[in-house]
Amino acid sequence: MSVEPRRSKLVARLTHPVARPLASVYRWVDERMGISDLVYKALYEAVPRRGAWTYTLGSVTLIIIALQIVTGMFLLWSYVPSTTEAWLSLNYLAHHNEFGAIVRGMHLWGAYVLLLVIGLHMVRTFVSGSYKKPRELNWITGVILFLLVLALGITGAMLPWDQAAFWTTVVTTHVLSYVPLLGHWLQEVWRGGNQVGPVTLTRTFAIHIWLLPALLVPLIGLHIYLLRRHGEHGSWVNYRNDPEESERERADRVLRAEPPYPAVPSDPAYSVPDDLDEFFPSQVGKDAIVSFVAVLIIFVMAVVVGSPLEAPANAASLTYVPTPEWFFLPLDQLLVQFPQAWMIPVGVFIIPGLASTLLIMVPFLDRSPDREPWKRPQLMVPALFTLLFLIFEALLGVNRLFNL
Amino acid sequence: MARRMSRRRFMVLATNVAGAGITLLIAAPIVGEVLQPIFTRRAHPWVRVGDITQVPVGLPTAYVVQMPTTQAWKVPPVARIVYVVKLNVGSAVQVLPLSNVCTHMQCDVHWDQNLQQFLCPCHGGLYSITGVNVGGPPPRPLFRYRHKLVGETLYVRDQLTEA
Repeated sequence: MSVEPRRSKLVARLTHPVARPLASVYRWVDERMGISDLVYKALYEAVPRRGAWTYTLGSVTLIIIALQIVTGMFLLWSYVPSTTEAWLSLNYLAHHNEFGAIVRGMHLWGAYVLLLVIGLHMVRTFVSGSYKKPRELNWITGVILFLLVLALGITGAMLPWDQAAFWTTVVTTHVLSYVPLLGHWLQEVWRGGNQVGPVTLTRTFAIHIWLLPALLVPLIGLHIYLLRRHGEHGSWVNYRNDPEESERERADRVLRAEPPYPAVPSDPAYSVPDDLDEFFPSQVGKDAIVSFVAVLIIFVMAVVVGSPLEAPANAASLTYVPTPEWFFLPLDQLLVQFPQAWMIPVGVFIIPGLASTLLIMVPFLDRSPDREPWKRPQLMVPALFTLLFLIFEALLGVNRLFNL
Repeated sequence: MARRMSRRRFMVLATNVAGAGITLLIAAPIVGEVLQPIFTRRAHPWVRVGDITQVPVGLPTAYVVQMPTTQAWKVPPVARIVYVVKLNVGSAVQVLPLSNVCTHMQCDVHWDQNLQQFLCPCHGGLYSITGVNVGGPPPRPLFRYRHKLVGETLYVRDQLTEA
C-alpha cells in the first residue's frame, strides 16, 4: 500500500468514529495546526519485529518519568521545603491525606522502579550492540540521562527532612568537600553555609524540582530525536546480512521499505533491517502493556508498602545508624574501602568518575562492526564483572550496616 | 575605521553583542546569589554547655547543646552534641570539648563503652578518647570546640579548631 491512502485512513480513524459533530471541528483545527501530519509522523514508522518486547523498556522509562513529573507536581500541593516544616507537612500528609500519601508513595516507588528499568534498558542496549555507529550519541545522551536520574534520586531522598533525609544530606554535601582545591567552597555553595541548615534544604529542593528536570527534559527530547533519526533497529537480531545481497539490492530495499525507514544509512551492513512492523499499533501496544505493568507495580507498592517517614531530623543523635539509599550502596561501600587522606578522593571521585567516563566512552571503546555479544567478549566480559562487582559491593554494604 | 561596515555585518555583530549582553545581565545576579554563602561572615555566639563538675575523669560525657542557626533567617536553635572529656594530665585535669562530628563524612560519632573508643556508625571510623583518629576512614582527629570555663560552667562557640 502506498503512503497516501494509509495516511488518510489513519486520519479517518482518528476523526470518524469519535463523534460526527466533533469531526468538523477537528478538520477546522487540523487545517490550521496540521495535527494529523504530526500524529502521522509520530506513529507511522518502521520498527523491527524481532526483539520488540525488549524495545519497550525505553517507552516504560519515558512513562515512569512522566509519572514522576506528575506526582512531583502534586506533592508540591502538600510539601513545604523548610527545615521546620518539611517533616511536619509530610507527617500531616501521611496521617490526614490518604490519597496524598499514595501520591508520595508512587513518587518514591516510581524512582525505584525507574532506576531498575533504566538499568535493564542500558543492559539491553549494551548487549545488543545498539550503541554502534551511527547511534553513539544515543548511548552518550542515555548515560547522561541515567546520571541525572541518579542525581534526582539522591536529591529527592534529602527532602523529607527526617533522619534518613538529614544524614543523606550531610554525607552527600560533605562528599563535595573532598574535591581538590574548590571542595570547601562547593560544599558551602550547596549547603548555604558551612553546616547543613535551612538554606541547604531550599537549595536542594530547587535543584530537585527545577534545575535537574530542566536539564533532563530537553535531553530526553534529544535522546528520542536521535532514536527517530536512526531508527529502533540497532540490534544484530534485526539483520539477515546476507552476504549474497549486493549493496545495490540493499539500497533498493531502503527505498521500497513500507513504512519508510527513518534510518540514516551510514553503515550499509546495519541500516536495512528485515522483518519490519508498524510502530503503531504493534510497538505502541507492547509499550503500553509493559508500561501498565510497571505503573501497576508502582501503584501497588505505594498502597501496600508506602513511603516511610522516620523521626524528624536530629543533628544530636547518638544511636541513629544512617543508611544510604539502596542505589548508592556500592558508592557508600567505596567510602569504607578507601580510608584516610588522599585515598578518600580516590574512592569518592576517581573510581566513580572513571567508571562514568568509561560508560560514556563505550561506543568508542568498541568500534568493531560486530554487534553479536559473543563476538565482542573484550567488552562483554569486563561489563559482566563490573555488574557483579557493583552487586558484591552493595551486598558488602548491607552486611556492614546490618551487623553494626 | 578604514573599511565601512556593511549593514549585514553590523546586524550579525549586533546579534552577538546583544546576545552576550542579555546572557550577562541575567547570569551575573544569579551567580552572585548562588555564591553568596562563600562571602558571608557569620557570628559565633557563646553557648552555655552546662556545669561539668559531675563529668568523671576518663569517661566522655555527651551534652546536648542548643546551637543557634546563624546560617539563615531566624529558625529555632538546633540540638548538637558536645562531648566533654576530662583527662588527668600530671596533677591537673584537662578538659576537652570534642565535637561528635566524624571528620570523614560528618555523621554523629558516639562513645562506645566496650571499645573504649568513639565509633562512627556510617563507615566505621574510630577515635581515641582524646579524639585522635585511630581506625577506619576518618582523615583527621575530631575537632574541638572553641571554649571557655567560667568556674565549672563550660561555654563553647560554634567554631571548630584542629586538635
